[in-house]
Amino acid sequence: MIEVESLWKSFNGVEALRGIGFSARDGEITGLIGPNGAGKTTTLRILYTVLRPDQGLASVDGFDSTRQRRQVQQRIGVLPDNRGLYPRLTAREHIRYYGRLHGLNGDQLESRIDRLIERLGMEDFCDRRAKGYSKGQTLKVALGRALVHEPHNVMFDEPTNGLDIASSRAVRQLIREIRDQGRCVLFSSHIMQEVEALCDRIVVIAEGRVVADGTPEDLRQSTGRADLEDVFLRAVAVED
Amino acid sequence: MRNIWIVFAKETLDNLRDRRSLYLGLIYPVIGAVLLGMLVSFVGGMFRGQGTSSISLAVVGGDQAPELMDFLTGNGIDLLPGPNAPRQAVRAGSADAVLVIPDGYAEDFGAMRPASLDMVINATRLSTVITVSRVVGVLRAYDREIGETRLRNHGIDPAVASPLNIRSINVGRSRNLAGFFLNMLPPFIIFTIFVGGVYLAIDTTSGERERGSLEPLLANPVARWEFMLGKAMATFLFTLTAVLVQLLAFKLMFELVSAGEYGVKVNPDLGAFVGVLLISLPLVAFAVALQIIVATVSRSIKETQTYLGLLPLLPSLPGMILVFVPLKAQVWMMTIPTFGQILLIGRLMRSEPVAWLHVVVSVGMTGLITGLLLYFAAYLYDRDQLLFGG
Repeated sequence: MIEVESLWKSFNGVEALRGIGFSARDGEITGLIGPNGAGKTTTLRILYTVLRPDQGLASVDGFDSTRQRRQVQQRIGVLPDNRGLYPRLTAREHIRYYGRLHGLNGDQLESRIDRLIERLGMEDFCDRRAKGYSKGQTLKVALGRALVHEPHNVMFDEPTNGLDIASSRAVRQLIREIRDQGRCVLFSSHIMQEVEALCDRIVVIAEGRVVADGTPEDLRQSTGRADLEDVFLRAVAVED
Repeated sequence: MRNIWIVFAKETLDNLRDRRSLYLGLIYPVIGAVLLGMLVSFVGGMFRGQGTSSISLAVVGGDQAPELMDFLTGNGIDLLPGPNAPRQAVRAGSADAVLVIPDGYAEDFGAMRPASLDMVINATRLSTVITVSRVVGVLRAYDREIGETRLRNHGIDPAVASPLNIRSINVGRSRNLAGFFLNMLPPFIIFTIFVGGVYLAIDTTSGERERGSLEPLLANPVARWEFMLGKAMATFLFTLTAVLVQLLAFKLMFELVSAGEYGVKVNPDLGAFVGVLLISLPLVAFAVALQIIVATVSRSIKETQTYLGLLPLLPSLPGMILVFVPLKAQVWMMTIPTFGQILLIGRLMRSEPVAWLHVVVSVGMTGLITGLLLYFAAYLYDRDQLLFGG
C-alpha cells in the first residue's frame, strides 16, 4: 500500500510538485502518467526515500518515507530511471550485493538469485561482467536486484523506456505476475497504450498536480471519451 | 556494522578488478623508490670516481713534458693521445677534458719562467667535474713539488713560500649525500598517501552517481553514513596498500644501494619504516575523508579528477621545501595534518629520535580533524543533493 498526500517539492525555486496526492493499493497495478516534467520521477523518488518532500506525506505500508526510511526501504523494490550497473561486476554479483544489503545471505540468497536468473532469462549472461550488456540485459539485472528481497511494494520508473518489443512485453508480464501475488505495483510511464493495457488504476499528473485519478473505465465515463489518449490530452490541457 | 562491511567488500572486489585502481595502489608507489634508487646509484657512482680507481685524460703535446707525463701516470691518470681539435672534442663530449701543452712549454719550463698549461673543460657537464677536479689537483701537486725543489736548490726553505696552511674540517657524518636522499622520502610518502586511493574515492562516489547506480543503491535499507563509511574504508585499504608497497620498495632500495658500491651507506632499519606506517595511518584516513568530500560535492567525475589531481601537490609542497631547508620540529607544527607527519617521517628516516609528545599530538590532532571531516562527509551524504552533485 502506497499513499501520497499533498506532496510539495521545489528545486532552486522551481516547483516540481504542487500538492500531489493519490494511493496505490495492494493487488493492483497503479500507473502514474503525465507529460515529461510533470513530476512523476520526483514523486517516486520521494516515495523510495532518496529525496525529502518540502511538505506533505509519502508513506509505504503506513511508514513515512522521510522519517521511517529504514522500514520503507525494507518494503520496497525499486527500478529508478537511473538504472546503471557496475561494469566490473557480473549480473549475479549485482543481485547478490542488493540481497545482502537487505539482510539475506547463504543458501537462501543464492537460491533466490538462481530463481530470478531463471525467471528473467539471464542464464546466458549472468556470470559475465556487466560491461557491454545490452539495454535489455541491463534492465533484467536492474529488475533482479530490485526484486531479490521479494518486496511487497514495487515502484518502476518508466520500466520499458528504450526497450524492444519482446523485452517490453516480458516486463509487462512480470508486472502482472507481481500484482497477481497480491503485491502493490506503482509504475510511471508516458506511453498511454502501455498504461491502458496494464493498469487497474490510473493517476494522471500534470505540472505537479493530479488532474485525473481512477480506473480506466472511470476516466472514460467521467470525460465521455472512449479513447484514453483523448482523456489524457484533455486532462492535461485543462491544466494549461 | 554488517552493512558497512558489505559495502566495503563490494567496493574492494569491484576495484580489485580495475586496472587503474591497481596501478595507483601497487605499481605507482614503486616508481618513486625505483627513481630514487637510480638517482642514488647514479650520483653515488659519480662520486665513487674520486677514490683510487684510475681516470683517463687526453693530452696534446705531451712529448714536451715527459716528467709531467710520468707524474700524471704515477698518480693514477691514464694518458690518451689528444684529439686534433681539443675544443670541439670537449664541447661535443667525446672527451671529458683535454690537457693541452702549448709549444713554448719546454722552453719556459727550462728557463724557470711560469710555463702555461691549458685545461680544456666543459663546466656545463656535471659528470666531468670529478675528472677535472682530480686532474687539476694532480697538476697543482706537480706545481708545488717543482716549486719546492727549485727553492731548495736556491737554499731556501720551501715553507717560507707557504705562509698559510688551510685545512677544512668536515664534521658532517660523511653521509650528507645520503641525508639528502632521506629527506626526499617524506614528500614521496605524503604524495602516495594523497594519491594511492584516489581512484576509489572518485569511482565510489562521483563514479557511482555518473553511472546511474547510486539512485537504486540508496533505496536499500542502509543508512547513508553506512554507505559513506563502507566506501571510505575501501578507499582507506587501497591507500594503505599503496603506502605499504612504497615503504617496502624504499626499504628494498636502501638494502640494495647500501650493499652496493655507491658510497651511500645508509639504511633506516625496519622499525623506522613501521613507525612511518603507524604515523601515516591517521593521515591516510584524513586524505580519504577529504577525497570523499570533494567527490561528493563535485558534479562530475571530470570535476572530481581535476580537484583531486591538485590535492596531493598542496600537502607535499612543505615536504619539498624541507628537502632543502631542514626545520626544527615544534609541537604546534604537529597539530597540522601532513605537516607534522612530514617532519616525523623525516626524523624516522634519518634515524633521529622522535619525541613521544610530537607523535601523540600529530596522531591525535589528525585523528580528531579526520573524525570531523567524516562527520561532515556523512552530512553531505545525507542531503538530497547527493543524487545530483554540488
